[in-house]
Amino acid sequence: MKPIEFMRDRLGQIFIYIFLVAVLSMFLYLTGTALGVLILILSVWIPGAVVVMFLKYRKENLRLKELESIMEGLDKKYLFAECVQPANVYEGRMFQLMRRSGKGMIEAVSNAQKEQKEYREYIEDWVHEIKAPITATQLICNNNKSELSRKLLPQLAQIEGHVERALYYARAGSVEKDFMIRKTLLSGIVKDAITRHQTLLIQNGVKLETFGLETSGLDTSKNDVMVYTDGKWVTFMIGQLLSNAIRYRVENPVIRIEAHNYRKQVRLCITDNGIGIPANELPRIFERGFTGSNGRKRGGSTGMGLYICRKLADFLQITMDAETVQNEYTSISMIFPAKENLTKM
Amino acid sequence: MYRIIIIEDDPDIREELHILLTNEGYQVVALTDFQEADRQVEHYQPDLILLDLGLPGRDGFALCKDIRRKSRVPIIFVTCRDNSIDELKALSLGGDDYVTKPYNIPVLIARIKAVLRRSTGGGSQEDSMEANGLRLDLPRGILEHNGKSCEATKNEMKILCCLMHRPGEIVSRTDLIEYLWDNQIYIDDNTLSVNMTRLRSKLTEIGLGDYITTRRGMGYKI
Repeated sequence: MKPIEFMRDRLGQIFIYIFLVAVLSMFLYLTGTALGVLILILSVWIPGAVVVMFLKYRKENLRLKELESIMEGLDKKYLFAECVQPANVYEGRMFQLMRRSGKGMIEAVSNAQKEQKEYREYIEDWVHEIKAPITATQLICNNNKSELSRKLLPQLAQIEGHVERALYYARAGSVEKDFMIRKTLLSGIVKDAITRHQTLLIQNGVKLETFGLETSGLDTSKNDVMVYTDGKWVTFMIGQLLSNAIRYRVENPVIRIEAHNYRKQVRLCITDNGIGIPANELPRIFERGFTGSNGRKRGGSTGMGLYICRKLADFLQITMDAETVQNEYTSISMIFPAKENLTKM
Repeated sequence: MYRIIIIEDDPDIREELHILLTNEGYQVVALTDFQEADRQVEHYQPDLILLDLGLPGRDGFALCKDIRRKSRVPIIFVTCRDNSIDELKALSLGGDDYVTKPYNIPVLIARIKAVLRRSTGGGSQEDSMEANGLRLDLPRGILEHNGKSCEATKNEMKILCCLMHRPGEIVSRTDLIEYLWDNQIYIDDNTLSVNMTRLRSKLTEIGLGDYITTRRGMGYKI
């Protein structure tokens, strides 16, 4: 608090002071007090009042600084009112008010959290429920193969994709995250992701090339690329990258999936020969709801896929990177953490 | 013939699974009363159980526990719930595999086969196939006819496998590509044509020039 602020707070008080001193001096002067005596009285009185004011200012200022430093040191700021001792009755009442306001806030926040949690749980349940009819439809199509079912299957695959995204979006935001880090065969994860998008990949005539993902059987299993991660989440992430590659394809689409050992880490690269991303949009592709010029041109983009991927990647400590040249290729790489580098989760 | 019991509460899925697995050559029993499920399992003595997790009344976990008390029959959980905790629980209760819906059908079939193979101990994969005078030596990747033989690539072997599984039938290019993808050969239409041409010339070498016939607009046939 600056002195001027302190004075502004006491403007009325100061005015009354000056006014009273003026009235008193006038009265004494008119009743015949000698001018010298008057000056003597004033020269004691006024500095005295100023010193009193100054001391009061210093006290308030110190108290304020003390409270500020308590606030600074608090981890949960909303517990401030609980943590300070009131210096006087007035402060006591103020803190009481603060406590009440804080309580109201906490209630509002916890209500919102509860609602959000319920909503998230509902989305998860809903996703699980919607999967039953999707499964049934898929089986029916499969048992009655015809031109019609061949047209329906890719549509179903798309529905499944959208549903899956909703599920992982709900999950990525939750505090009690559902994932398990295990030593997993990378080629298995990639195979799973491909299988899940097989219908769409084949329908769009994609040529798929894989490198460094051969499983060498039991004898030379040490050569197989292993990663420490949650297979299901990564399957979903690779699936997103595959479906992006399909969406932004050109004629004769080729998708290349490569795995390299990268020091102690493993790097998985998914490269397409599609339309690429304009350089100025590249930094924003992982943002929520960012569809870019490609998305606007083609339609049907939600801008959620990569955003969810990045969120999941953060939890799993996977580094995601994108490299692209417009009209040539897009390459997204995922760098899996080495076992030693995994911090406790 | 292997006997599979389906425990699934959704009638449509149950029925379609029944059709699917029957077409795959299994003897299928679909239960409709889940309260007595463990007793019925005892009665039918199946080689495998497909068990849904979300059943009315008692859920799949409880059922699995009851079944496990009396029998070591392999159980594959089929479920819409795909969180790690459920999966862990299912496997720790003695489930043999855990497949989430909506499943990729070839994957489901492959998992069933794998579990059956493990549980019955026997039945390594077929070593050779024969149809219309051509013999495939699968482990060595060799084609044989009348004493003549030649080597074939993985892709060519798989193409022949697919056709020889259905002799006399027309197999469409899409079916063929799907079959190859199921076997981790991710090729497109053009590559299939190239593979087909090479395969034909190899077959001509061993005197089977017209082994594979093309039906225009329909597919291939042996």
